[in-house]
Amino acid sequence: MFEKGFPQDKLITYSGMLWLLAAQIVVMLPLIFYLPIWLLPILIFSAVWRIRVMQGHNAQPGNLIKIIIGLLGLGALAASGVKVVSLDMMASLLMLGFAYKALEVIQRRDGMVVILTGFVLIGVLFLYNQSMLIALYGVLSMTVLTGALIAIQQSKSYAILPNLRLSSMMLLLCLPLMLLFFFFAPRFEPFWKVPQTSGHAKTGISDSMTPGDIAELSQSDDLAFSVKFEGKRPGQNELYWRGLVLQHFDGKTWTQSDIPNGKGIKIGNDRLSEKQVAESIVKRGDSVEYEVIYEKSGQPWLFALTPVLEVKGRAFLGGDFRIISYRDINEPKLLKLTSYPNSLREVELSDYDRDLALQLPENGNQKSRFLADQLMASSASNQEYINRVLDRFRQDQYFYTLRPPTLGSENSIDDFLIDSKRGFCAHYAGSFVFMMRAAGIPARVVTGYQGGKWNEQGQFLAVHQFDAHAWTEVWLEGQGWVRFDPTAMVAPSRIEQNLETAMESEGSFLEDNFLSMSKIKWLDGIREKIDSAQYAWRRHVLGYDKNAQQNFLKKMFGELSVQKIGLIVGGLFAGIILLWVMFLGLARKRETEAEEHQLYRRFCDLMAKKGVTRDISQTPETFRRFAMQELPDLAGEINHFSQAYSSVCYDPSIQSKHQSYIDDMKSLLKKLNR
Amino acid sequence: MNSSLGNFKLSKFKLGSKSSESKNSVSKSFGSKNFGSKKKAKPKSEEESNQKLPQWMEKRFPETRQMTLDLKRIFVFLTGTSGALLIAIGLLFLMGVNFQSTLIYALSFWLLALIVISIFFTYRNLSGLTLRAVQASPCFAGEKAVFELEVSCPKQQKKSAIFIGWKNQDVATVNLHDNHTIHIKLSHSTKHRGRFKPEKLSIFTSYPLGLIKGWSYALLNMNSIVYPAPLLQESEDKGDSLDEEADQGMEIPRGTTDFSGIRDYQAGDSPRHIHWGAYAKTGKVQTKTFVDYASHDLWLDWDALSISGTEIKLSHLCAKVLQYHQEQQVYGLKIPGRTIQPASGEAHRNTCLTALALFGEGDHSDAQTQVSTDGIGS
Repeated sequence: MFEKGFPQDKLITYSGMLWLLAAQIVVMLPLIFYLPIWLLPILIFSAVWRIRVMQGHNAQPGNLIKIIIGLLGLGALAASGVKVVSLDMMASLLMLGFAYKALEVIQRRDGMVVILTGFVLIGVLFLYNQSMLIALYGVLSMTVLTGALIAIQQSKSYAILPNLRLSSMMLLLCLPLMLLFFFFAPRFEPFWKVPQTSGHAKTGISDSMTPGDIAELSQSDDLAFSVKFEGKRPGQNELYWRGLVLQHFDGKTWTQSDIPNGKGIKIGNDRLSEKQVAESIVKRGDSVEYEVIYEKSGQPWLFALTPVLEVKGRAFLGGDFRIISYRDINEPKLLKLTSYPNSLREVELSDYDRDLALQLPENGNQKSRFLADQLMASSASNQEYINRVLDRFRQDQYFYTLRPPTLGSENSIDDFLIDSKRGFCAHYAGSFVFMMRAAGIPARVVTGYQGGKWNEQGQFLAVHQFDAHAWTEVWLEGQGWVRFDPTAMVAPSRIEQNLETAMESEGSFLEDNFLSMSKIKWLDGIREKIDSAQYAWRRHVLGYDKNAQQNFLKKMFGELSVQKIGLIVGGLFAGIILLWVMFLGLARKRETEAEEHQLYRRFCDLMAKKGVTRDISQTPETFRRFAMQELPDLAGEINHFSQAYSSVCYDPSIQSKHQSYIDDMKSLLKKLNR
Repeated sequence: MNSSLGNFKLSKFKLGSKSSESKNSVSKSFGSKNFGSKKKAKPKSEEESNQKLPQWMEKRFPETRQMTLDLKRIFVFLTGTSGALLIAIGLLFLMGVNFQSTLIYALSFWLLALIVISIFFTYRNLSGLTLRAVQASPCFAGEKAVFELEVSCPKQQKKSAIFIGWKNQDVATVNLHDNHTIHIKLSHSTKHRGRFKPEKLSIFTSYPLGLIKGWSYALLNMNSIVYPAPLLQESEDKGDSLDEEADQGMEIPRGTTDFSGIRDYQAGDSPRHIHWGAYAKTGKVQTKTFVDYASHDLWLDWDALSISGTEIKLSHLCAKVLQYHQEQQVYGLKIPGRTIQPASGEAHRNTCLTALALFGEGDHSDAQTQVSTDGIGS
């Protein structure tokens, strides 16, 4: 190799060191928020040591110190309780290594290692957070890392700004090629299952419901999903985003049923074939077409207007008409759905399903059971019974509150329904279903989200965690499953408008979430713009998956064949290269010298041929005298030419006759050449 | 063209033992002058380019006094670092696929693009760089010959971290930021006396990112005179001055030492030498004259040496030249084919040493030798 036997200086300059340090700090800074806090002091320690070494206060750390720091780091990791086989562990180790390497960097090679690790760490950061801001931060980190790469190549220390400018320019010029790769490079399904980051902790609605869970969710203004409607948007009170069906009640908590049916299928989460869908649904009314981007939740549950009949994207229809993702949602997920909200579902109810929908614990909540018996006895039909229960919620002193009193674990339904009468949607839904089942009417709790906030700017509906809701479905003869929302009886404004309006008098909307910007009214306009930008970011950038790629390419270039893609990519690539060559001035001719200088150089070459070489130290004037002396035959021409050259260069008065002088020089050169 | 061919034959490319064969073929193709039609592909790697240096190399790197690096002369290839970066990119791509993260995809593609664009930036860092031979200083065999080069680039450009040097010799680092022309001095170790022509210069850079290395060569037409290593032979030390005529030193008139006579005053005579006594007596202005005695001319004569062996003789004579020069003697040199009349001074010393250095190198004219001594043969 060339480098061997070619001793370049291999040490990094002082400014190179500073750049490396800056790059390390920039890369590590955001990761500190996602990784064990114990890493922080160790990272700071290595940075400080590094600075002291650079300033000459400390020596390079010896092996013993390195080992001690290494053990300290590992100990800190162990103490922070990160799982051994997890992404967090991998990222933490990478961070530690990144920080330690800094301790011993002197040579260019070490610097390279640090910078390459830095690039990988930016990728790790993206595993934890994919927001627009973090992406921008990633670009900043890239710029600094590239700047550091430049700085460690330099053999002299230079100012910061030119390096920064050069690295930004390089990255900017790379952008078209990056986009070309980005749009055209094939996308793959995951090769293997990977551990998730702690940033992917389960959020949103869970697969069980204890009164209080949803109240907790209502304190979060995180986005759950965004919806874009193809046609008309249904009314706000129709927006029931159905997620989970909770069939089983143990006296306190509602959970999904895990009792297998006769055919060995677990109800709910198992896939429903198209035939089964067709059999159990009577399609009615208009369709609603919409596109949903689900935020990461760490769970497979998806939320939609029920029943969904068409799904485009990686999800399937579950047993009770919900849609479920094949994998836990750890990155924004895009689905295109078509629902028929007015359809009838399961007009024929199987015995198995009926049993599930009538299940109650053996004992407990005797007051409520007694109340149910009383009401049922005085009702002529099931429908009337239902109305009476709902009327009770509406007319009695029930309150819709985010600050319900604590309920006992033995008779939670009684405590709420008979005694406190203060509760949140989960209380109402749970007790309503209890009342139905107690009267022998099949019913179940449904959780999901209700409503959402319309973003006029981006023309989409944003559904937040505080829109989480619980309601019920009751099976009625000839109508199948019918939705009832007891909360609407108590707090119609929750359904007609939103939670914030419903909680206005209580002032409990997002009361625990001090940092929430959602409460600041005058920011609404800006917030809408930001939300809209973020929606576009999720929809078009993060959502650029295999499907999106195919759609995009089809839209741009029509039907695609391999040859056609090859041609397009080749053409664009050539275009980008051309752009670079132009921009970097590589195509420009080297001869940018003024014409007179070119002519004078040719003159010198000519003289050299005739045996009179101009020494570097000779001015044109001394060379003129020297040449005239050496070549007396040509003295006239030499004199004339040199005088003309001097005039063109130094005499401003001949500016107007510039060209004639140049012509003179040319003709003299010809004469000399003879 | 012819002269450059001649020079090329003299130059010592590191061709190894098989050099004679390849040299022949080189010469042939030079003679037929049809190499322009043969287009050789760019070499893929450094090793390859080293092994078969010949034909295309000569065409692209003719021996010149000044050379500018351009598309024909610059080679680029991936460095080890870019290999490591490619592995990192692969890792990121896998992460992107397995976590289905668009941003990580983008990151890996961006880094890939960075490698590609590095090719152009590294190329740009070399392109337009001009090397010009300025001066070569003579040295004694075994010492280092110093060559001075002018390195420059067009005004609107900047060059950074370019390494210029011969293999296994000193390397100069060149940065052209504010100055667009600088002079560098490179030294090259020498082994034998004679006209020393260094092999091709290597020019290397991996700026700005270290991901792509760019390199080129320059065969600059410059040579340094390497004097024989001075080595005094003790057995000969007494016999250095020949036909010694100790008493009969030649008189140098108009001296200041010994009185020789009185003559009439001439304009310009020093008033100190005016014979005031005679003036007082006769009224006639007369001047006392003095003479100096030159020590007897020393001759360094090849034939008079009793030691044998050309190089040993040359080394001995070289040592004597240095000794006489130091003693500020007047000395002459006689070697087969060349006689240098006695004189003294720096120029004389150099003439003598050059004659010793080039002994046996054939019919180089004096003029050429002269140019080579204080400059560079063109």
